Amino acid sequence: MFNQLIHNIAIWLDDTRWSTMLHESYYMYNWVESTHVLTLMVSLGMLFLIDLRMLGLALPDVPASTIARRLNLPMLVGFTVMVVTGLLLFYAVPVRSSQSIWMRIKLVLMLGLLINAVLFHRRMSEAGSGWDAQPRAPRNLRLGAMFSLAGWSVVVTCGRFIAYDWFDCQYMDPGLMSSLAGCIEGQTRF
Amino acid sequence: MPASLLGPYSRTILAAAVLLITLGFALSGARGEVHNGLLPFFEWLETTWFGVAGKTWGAVFATVQSVHLLGLALLGGAVLAAEGRLLNVILTDTPRELVCSRCNRVFDIAMITLVATGVFMACGVAVKIYYLPVYWYKMLGLAAGALFHYFVRNPVLAQDLENVNPWLLKAMAVASIMVWFTVAATGRWIGFSG
Ligand code: HEM
Ligand code: HEM
Repeated sequence: MFNQLIHNIAIWLDDTRWSTMLHESYYMYNWVESTHVLTLMVSLGMLFLIDLRMLGLALPDVPASTIARRLNLPMLVGFTVMVVTGLLLFYAVPVRSSQSIWMRIKLVLMLGLLINAVLFHRRMSEAGSGWDAQPRAPRNLRLGAMFSLAGWSVVVTCGRFIAYDWFDCQYMDPGLMSSLAGCIEGQTRF
Repeated sequence: MPASLLGPYSRTILAAAVLLITLGFALSGARGEVHNGLLPFFEWLETTWFGVAGKTWGAVFATVQSVHLLGLALLGGAVLAAEGRLLNVILTDTPRELVCSRCNRVFDIAMITLVATGVFMACGVAVKIYYLPVYWYKMLGLAAGALFHYFVRNPVLAQDLENVNPWLLKAMAVASIMVWFTVAATGRWIGFSG
């Protein structure tokens, strides 16, 4: 059902000309991947500074709202590039990526982190600015920041693990892991 | 050697001298000999505890790689916030001195993380990277970047910034961003080469 649908879409993507071209071009593919990695410095770089500021671990004597407001735009620019290059990487190797357990954890977690970010934003405006000069933010903002730091670290780890073939469909027997990864019994394309 | 011998810019002069000597070395025949001489050292690295651990447990190596990437993100944040401030593009309502000195602490922690995880990974793939030019470019870039950061940029920023030519500050900011993105790019390229 779900896994079959994903697999069908992946096969369809895999058969498009641009997917093959991207996949087979050594320089193009590697530059897209390098851009995905280098942009971590912008997206997660800004995000880490904001979260660490909330915990009082970075720039503790710069007003928290200044950090959150001023670093927001570069962070979002970074995330936009991450998403575009990420989608391209996926498109270049659609069948294998769609059946990667790490890719799946990464996507679900990113959805959770997106919700967390929206909540954080809202709490931030509700919290007023009475605590702005304190090194540490109020408790609920700190919890949001901790979840964000931990979650994005796992996202990075999952991203890095995609490249390894430990749980590739060719090497797994049918079972819970293989259905979570999205493997289809008797599939011929990997 | 007493630093005062070279006047107020002793560290800058030393850094420039090191760069010149490195350049001379890179262009001379001595480079090949030293490279040959280093092979046993790299072979030995693979036999160290780090090397054996990195080669035996793929999951450990991959996790350390991930921590290397987290260090990269943190370094990026520290560099871009500080240099963006010097370029007057972000945090413009906060004093430059404050942003730069606080970012420097984040930078140091990121650098320690990167060097520790980097050395671990290097032990696991020592002989492979020994033969990869891009690995040596990365180390050259890293050495240049660290010398620049600690011996040129920080001493300049420690002065009263009102007395420093604003174009010098901007040029330093651009140089810093360029060197760290270059180190990161060569780092990623190590992984592509087999
Ligand atoms: C927005 C936040 C994101 C972060 C922080 C992130 C992080 C990462 C990291 C750290 C890697 C490992 C890169 C390497 O070391 O070579 C990676 C790889 C990858 N990412 Fe992302 N990513 C993000 C978004 C996305 C999105 C939206 C997609 C696609 C839907 C995506 C698809 C991929 C793919 C397919 C790879 C694997 C490349 C390979 O084969 O090694 N990423 N990501
Ligand atoms: C002594 C210091 C360092 C050493 C020995 C070192 C060593 C390494 C090695 C051996 C790899 C390749 C791992 C593989 O086989 O894939 C690597 C990857 C990498 N390094 Fe470093 N590194 C150091 C510092 C740095 C610094 C300061 C930066 C950032 C500015 C950096 C950025 C990267 C990046 C982006 C990758 C690619 C990671 C990936 O996508 O998997 N490294 N490093």
